Amino acid sequence: MKKTLIALAMGAAMATTAISSALAANIGVSVARFDDNGLTVMRTGMTEHVKTLEGVDLQMEDAQDDVAKQLDQINNFIASGVDAIIVNAVDTNATEAMTKAAAAASVPLVYVNRQPINMETLPDGQAFVASNEIESGTLEAFQVCRNLRAAGKSGGAKGYVLMGQLSNQAAVQRTKDVEDVVGMDMCNFMKVIDKQTAEWSRDKAQDLMANWLSSGEEFDFVLANNDEMAIGAIQAMKAAGLDMKVIEVGGVDATADALVAMQAGDLDVTVFQDLAGQGAGAIDTAIKLSKGESVDKTVFIPFKLVTPNNISDFIK
Amino acid sequence: MADTSHGTGGVSFDSKKRSWPNELNIFFALIVIVCLFEVAGQLLPYMKGQSMLFDFNTNRDGTILNMARLKIMILQVAIIGIISLGVTQVIILGGIDLSSGPLVGAAAMVVMSFAQTELVNGNPNPKAVFGEWAFDLPVMIPILVGLAFGAFIGAINGGLIAYTRIPPFIATLGMFLICRGIAQWWTRGKPVSFPTDSFASLGSGMMPVVWFGGLAFIFHFILKYTVYGKHTYAIGSNEDAARMSGINIKRHKVLVYVIASMLAATAAIVLSSKNLTAQSGMGQFYELFAIAMAVIGGVSLTGGRGSIIGTVLGACVFGVIQSGFTYVKLDAFYQLMAMGTIIISAVVLDQWRQNSSSR
Repeated sequence: MKKTLIALAMGAAMATTAISSALAANIGVSVARFDDNGLTVMRTGMTEHVKTLEGVDLQMEDAQDDVAKQLDQINNFIASGVDAIIVNAVDTNATEAMTKAAAAASVPLVYVNRQPINMETLPDGQAFVASNEIESGTLEAFQVCRNLRAAGKSGGAKGYVLMGQLSNQAAVQRTKDVEDVVGMDMCNFMKVIDKQTAEWSRDKAQDLMANWLSSGEEFDFVLANNDEMAIGAIQAMKAAGLDMKVIEVGGVDATADALVAMQAGDLDVTVFQDLAGQGAGAIDTAIKLSKGESVDKTVFIPFKLVTPNNISDFIK
Repeated sequence: MADTSHGTGGVSFDSKKRSWPNELNIFFALIVIVCLFEVAGQLLPYMKGQSMLFDFNTNRDGTILNMARLKIMILQVAIIGIISLGVTQVIILGGIDLSSGPLVGAAAMVVMSFAQTELVNGNPNPKAVFGEWAFDLPVMIPILVGLAFGAFIGAINGGLIAYTRIPPFIATLGMFLICRGIAQWWTRGKPVSFPTDSFASLGSGMMPVVWFGGLAFIFHFILKYTVYGKHTYAIGSNEDAARMSGINIKRHKVLVYVIASMLAATAAIVLSSKNLTAQSGMGQFYELFAIAMAVIGGVSLTGGRGSIIGTVLGACVFGVIQSGFTYVKLDAFYQLMAMGTIIISAVVLDQWRQNSSSR
């Protein structure tokens, strides 16, 4: 009697696992930081997209900006037998170990948003979904350059650059993009007075901008690595009574707050990184890989320039 | 007047032993730091002889002082300064509070959810947390909700420390993680923005400095002249002696932690109002900077010694250094290293001075 019961119970358990694995994909996701605004948009993009899919289960983990923790999470995913893993890398230099761990267990791995250092050597069953980072800072700085020319300042314009966390690839790249644009023949009238980090934060950008303002030096543009810092700079400039019509301010991300600032005429340029699209794209890529379908090594979700002319396309 | 609040729990002491109030030393250190930056400004070729505090050439504000820089120096430390007023009391009590930074993040999220406005530029608020009932509430509601939240967290901190007798470091470390979790859980990590005008006015312009100054004045008075203050110093100097003399130690500890957390919640209100947004990552490292301000201001981590005036001066030291770094265009890498060096040397100097004066 007892044996039959156990057999029945085991049979039932096996049947349920069989059914669930036939229908569903279990995807483990490790995100660099839960409290980062942009990554939150991406994360929400994933959960929203999964709601539209049948039988896909997401398990989200917060790596809390800790490389070691992220690798542990990936190994835990592998140990618990997920069908695919999505990684938003804390440190893009540390992805080789993740690639190896996933490849050894033949679990598909998708990097999202931040480009892994071993991009060139990614094995089969692994892919990268993101926007091409070079586009964002270039689009931003070039549009500000064009606006300045249109305002008749091609004789010479000075300004400040607000950088994100210096350990972050996007901050380094976007700052370099600005420098590249400023080095172009068409835009070399622009001169950067100083560049400092405000660590992506509105609060720190406010203080940094106020410190710059206290030097009394005249300037024409402010280029921030993200919108939060651009908004912080705008708040400091408005507090100091500067005319925001005269000063060109650029950011990246096109967050809801930034679009409001643009409607108010304070922010002039931002760049929309389709983070929700990246999240959804990562899910789709992970599902395809888990089914054994082939995908491109790199799936690019394009950046879009946002100015007062086309802002209505981005307000939901 | 001899400062009676040092070391001996409010009992007057031999004035010869310390003829020189500690606060005066910090004040001199502040002046020395300003002078160093001024000299650097004159010597560094790329500064073109620009001055840090003065503005002789353009006369922008109608004075020879560079008012903009004087303002930002205080403004940028005012909010952490509000936290450090509470941290000062906790450290004088002989404790430590690591939870204040994440508490700022959590309280800001909670407060801002009750301070949202319905229409932004004529469009519905894209960041609404609750339904329609939570829009355009009177400004007292988010303030009271924030203070109540702070008091609740503080009561848990204090209760754990007083009644289960676990070390304050551990209790508040646990609360550090809990509060960061609350901050992220509240909206699943999404920022909360667009407050009502009345809420926005709480932290606009120089208001953070007004809050900091006002609260510093009040707590200076409370610590120096009330029973609450005397008991705090007494417990921090010698807990057993304080118990013998009939102080209700447990109740007093809870009270101090509640007040410290309410001050951190106040900082959260001012910060979210200043930034017009609340984000779960707000307040990162605030707890450490608040402790550092108090320590630079002469508050002893062994308890029983320190003052609000010292902490305010400690905050000023931070403000001057931060502005000074930007003024001489020092890169961020060096800024962190220099900041660390200054904190360590301040404490070493203080120890050294205490040892030599006690001999």
